[in-house]
Amino acid sequence: MTVRWLATALACAVLAAVPLAARPTLTQYGIEALLLASLAQAWNILGGYAGYPSFGNSAFYGLGTYGTAVAMARFHQQFGVGLACGAALGMACACAVGVPILRLRGPYFAIVTLGLSAMLAAIVRNVAIAGRNIGLILPIFRSDTLFYELALGLLAAATAAVALTARSRFGAGLVAIRENEEAAAVMGVATTRFKVMALALAAVITALAGGIHAYWITFVDPASAFDSSLNVKMVIMAVFGGPGTVVGPVVGALLLSGVSEWLASAISSMASLFYGLVIVLAVLFMPKGLWDAGRGLRQRGLRYFGENLRRYRL
Amino acid sequence: MTDRTPIFEARGLSKRFRGLTALRRVTFHLDRGEILGLIGPNGAGKTTLVSLISGTLWPTEGEIYFENRRIDRLPPHRRAHLGIGRTFQIMKPFPGLSVLENVAVGALFGRGGGERHRARARERALGCLEVTGLASRAYDRAEALTGPDRKRLELAKGLALGPKLLLLDEVMAGLNPAEVDQVVAIIRKVRADGVAILVIEHVMRAIRQLADRLMVLHHGEQIAEGRPDEVLSHPRVVEAYLGRRRA
Amino acid sequence: MLLFAQIVVNGLLVGGLYGLMALGMGLVWGVLNIVNLMHGALIMLGGYAVYYLYTSAGLDPFAALPLAMLGLFGLGYALQWFVLGQIARSPLLNTLLVTFGLEVVATYLAQLAFSADLRTINPPYAGQHLALGGLVVPLVPAAAFGAALVLAASLWLALGRTRTGRAIRASAQNLGAARLYGVNPRRIFALTFGTGAALAGAAGGLYGLVAQISPYMGNSLTPKSFVIAILGGLDRPLGVLAGGLALGVAEALTGAYLASTYVDAISFGLLVLLLVARTSRLLRPA
Repeated sequence: MTVRWLATALACAVLAAVPLAARPTLTQYGIEALLLASLAQAWNILGGYAGYPSFGNSAFYGLGTYGTAVAMARFHQQFGVGLACGAALGMACACAVGVPILRLRGPYFAIVTLGLSAMLAAIVRNVAIAGRNIGLILPIFRSDTLFYELALGLLAAATAAVALTARSRFGAGLVAIRENEEAAAVMGVATTRFKVMALALAAVITALAGGIHAYWITFVDPASAFDSSLNVKMVIMAVFGGPGTVVGPVVGALLLSGVSEWLASAISSMASLFYGLVIVLAVLFMPKGLWDAGRGLRQRGLRYFGENLRRYRL
Repeated sequence: MTDRTPIFEARGLSKRFRGLTALRRVTFHLDRGEILGLIGPNGAGKTTLVSLISGTLWPTEGEIYFENRRIDRLPPHRRAHLGIGRTFQIMKPFPGLSVLENVAVGALFGRGGGERHRARARERALGCLEVTGLASRAYDRAEALTGPDRKRLELAKGLALGPKLLLLDEVMAGLNPAEVDQVVAIIRKVRADGVAILVIEHVMRAIRQLADRLMVLHHGEQIAEGRPDEVLSHPRVVEAYLGRRRA
Repeated sequence: MLLFAQIVVNGLLVGGLYGLMALGMGLVWGVLNIVNLMHGALIMLGGYAVYYLYTSAGLDPFAALPLAMLGLFGLGYALQWFVLGQIARSPLLNTLLVTFGLEVVATYLAQLAFSADLRTINPPYAGQHLALGGLVVPLVPAAAFGAALVLAASLWLALGRTRTGRAIRASAQNLGAARLYGVNPRRIFALTFGTGAALAGAAGGLYGLVAQISPYMGNSLTPKSFVIAILGGLDRPLGVLAGGLALGVAEALTGAYLASTYVDAISFGLLVLLLVARTSRLLRPA
């Protein structure tokens, strides 16, 4: 146990030191990667643990973005207040739509979340205080280092939240819901309440990421705030790294971001090709995610890959 | 002062599914520490009745009372908190979890809201596994269990809830006579703790040993109720089972 | 009144194509439990196939359609046999990942082979119109609509009336039982995915006749197909077609009578409400 704590502390320290030593572009890439990792962790709570894969967390990201932007640009509040507004908006939305939406299973849930995000984007486009289609400009604050550390802090907090959940009664309930929701209900798990709580927690983390990003970029508009490509990205990173684990999504997000960034600079012309191939091969050989692969390799060596192929093929 | 009222009562329960009447005005009660056997041919509505009591389905007509409280519109998890536990005829384990973790869910969320701490829940779960004879497989994946062990897991999960009313849906199916006797012993122990038990069974050997009273369902209707020897020789009951081998 | 009818007709024509696009995705999702993120890329490849058959071989686009479908069928069959089948029994979201990766590869290769220029398939009869009682019905979209209807009906018949179709539906419901009846899962699954790809290819070819194709066109078409497939009930061809038509008409009406910025809000809003209303009724304790 202490080894794990030490390793985590060390990793945090190393990551925190990056802006001091690296080129500005690396810090900027780092901010994006860390925020994505937070999104993957947030998704992990509802998607990985409870088994409800959302394809519309961008809704909360957008709410966090706009909450912060409107508070700061229109009402001239401090960043902290702005973030709080964004987070509050995210949580309110989650609690409001959670009950009807979380009654749906599988594909229906996925699609409704996607619809929710698109709907919110379309609504924002027509609201004056949010700047309609043109967007809003926030006060300028130039310090990539600060935003980097903020993003790292958010990731650490998100991961801590997931770790606490995993160990708690709440987490046990979420997993029971994932494994067999009907049995869980009959055994006393208040399924609707737990699911809404998980959604609300994910919404808050996601909204905070949106708020940080908004202040960093200094500009928000509906298209980028409710960016639907984020949805696929966060799902992929969480699933690639290991859904339902504490560290998996972080590893998945940072690794995928890193690979994509490195490919872009090293072999820019064929970067996409290799990126796609890497993903396909990784899933074929490590269908339970990177984290599980790490454990499997340690316990059973290379046989892990063969076993996977045999177990999961049609 | 002991409470003499029945712990459980069903009045005029009916259940209709789009033109199919699964249950028709079923009325019965259970006292604390009593074992009521429920038998009847396949499709008689026995599992539907259990689903109505546990909350998975809601009755079309009728009322359900538990400890003098009307519960027929409560969601399943609230009924579990009150102390109603059930097993599933078509077993529903948590596949990705270990046997111990499966049972621990019941301890974590059962009667009264269950344990607050996972460690305590795990201890209780181990206790239930010992009672049902599964302690040696506590850390195996639930998926890996087969046949009789799966039945025992269902039973252990039901027990972990700390129920006051336990609904057992064919927990003996597929067991050989020695295994049946083992499970009968477990159920007797549970009853000795004051738990009221509704036992659905086709295995007559078990029913005869366990049931204080017997109720027979046929096409959703109660056709007999009373002492086992009386019920089993009732002409309508014999007719309903005509052609079936009596175990 | 006439204007209203015209708008509805326009919406229906587009909607028919939407429905066809979603058919393949719904089939693959409903039967194989695969969320195919490369569906849009398959549509795109179909579009290019018809484009090149028309420009290089001089084949009329509608005649080239079956050939393109055949090619896409083969591609889909191979993908399922060699790649997707390997992870068929792993957690559902893995198919998402793999198809995502495949989509990235396919888009890249397409952009390499075809360049990023926008193209249209322009047969000589492209500009013609039919006049039906005061309504103007452009010929090519109408023919595309017709083709979409034919394909949807064919799929419905095939699933319902043929032996293979029944085998596919059986596998969807209970693979173990289907096996016992002699169904070869690998072949049936590959067949299903191939069919889904072929339908996507057809949609692509028709799309190229009414709009522009580019290597990146799949990006927006996949989410749309996703939505319509679910609205229509996944592997129910007539439902999916109806879903597409409904979306097409809703979009056309919203675009005409409200500002175009409301289009997405209305369509998605309707979708969300419909789904929540429909399924929550199914999920209340009965």
